[in-house]
Amino acid sequence: MPESRALAVLVGLGTGALLTLMLLSNAEVGRRAGPLAASLVPHATGTAVALLLLLPGRPPLAGPAPAWAYLGGLSGAATVALTTVAANSALALSGTLALGLVGQVAFARGADRWGWLGQARAAFARRDALAALLIVLGSLLVIRGAA
Amino acid sequence: MILFAAMALAGGALVGLSRQVNGRLARATTPLVASFWNHLVGFAALALVALVALGWPSGLSGVPPWAWAGGPIGVLFVALGSWLLPRLGAARTALLVIAGQMVSGAALDTLRGAEGMGWRAGGVLLILAGVAVARR
Repeated sequence: MPESRALAVLVGLGTGALLTLMLLSNAEVGRRAGPLAASLVPHATGTAVALLLLLPGRPPLAGPAPAWAYLGGLSGAATVALTTVAANSALALSGTLALGLVGQVAFARGADRWGWLGQARAAFARRDALAALLIVLGSLLVIRGAA
Repeated sequence: MILFAAMALAGGALVGLSRQVNGRLARATTPLVASFWNHLVGFAALALVALVALGWPSGLSGVPPWAWAGGPIGVLFVALGSWLLPRLGAARTALLVIAGQMVSGAALDTLRGAEGMGWRAGGVLLILAGVAVARR
């Protein structure tokens, strides 16, 4: 296994752990101030912190990218709206999480397969399919345990 | 019910879409610059919804200091997603982030003494096996 691959795998796992901490924080904001605040507040503080982090290096804020590439935040905001409504239906949080996971993996696979949005096309080896099966199945069990 | 299921599925797909879009911008700038735009544009959209439809949220003074960490953590989360995409591809990035989220979430639930320990333990074992297969 190449060294860089091992590092990327560890970073991927760590990024997921960050998501747990992020959801924990934002859920507390939501509990106190409502679901809109749970998304609005972290976007506000995130914008401020990102700007602070960018100040010392002063990198250009624009580059040779299509205009749509600046609009990733819209997709994030729409996610909040959709999942909030779904989680308050009979699906509950666990069903919403489980289906969201499937939607996310399917979309990512499509991006690899067809090179969506500039993603480099990548094959899906039998090994990748096995990894996907194990991780999705395991995740569904974890979600079941929390339901 | 089918409508709600479609919404949940679409919510997941939008997480992937967002990562691809931010990753595209990061390729032309840096992951941190892309994360900045993601948060600024998301904030603008949500602020518009608040002002036009739902009303500005109240009760923010009751939010404990630690809960404000979600934004800074999110900046790092989005930037790392852009960093991962060209290194692992989209599917492996999604799977590993999900694996990290599920294992850490299961650990947190266990620390809190939540029920469902058997389901969690079995799930974590499968996930770790999947990660071991993916890292080759």
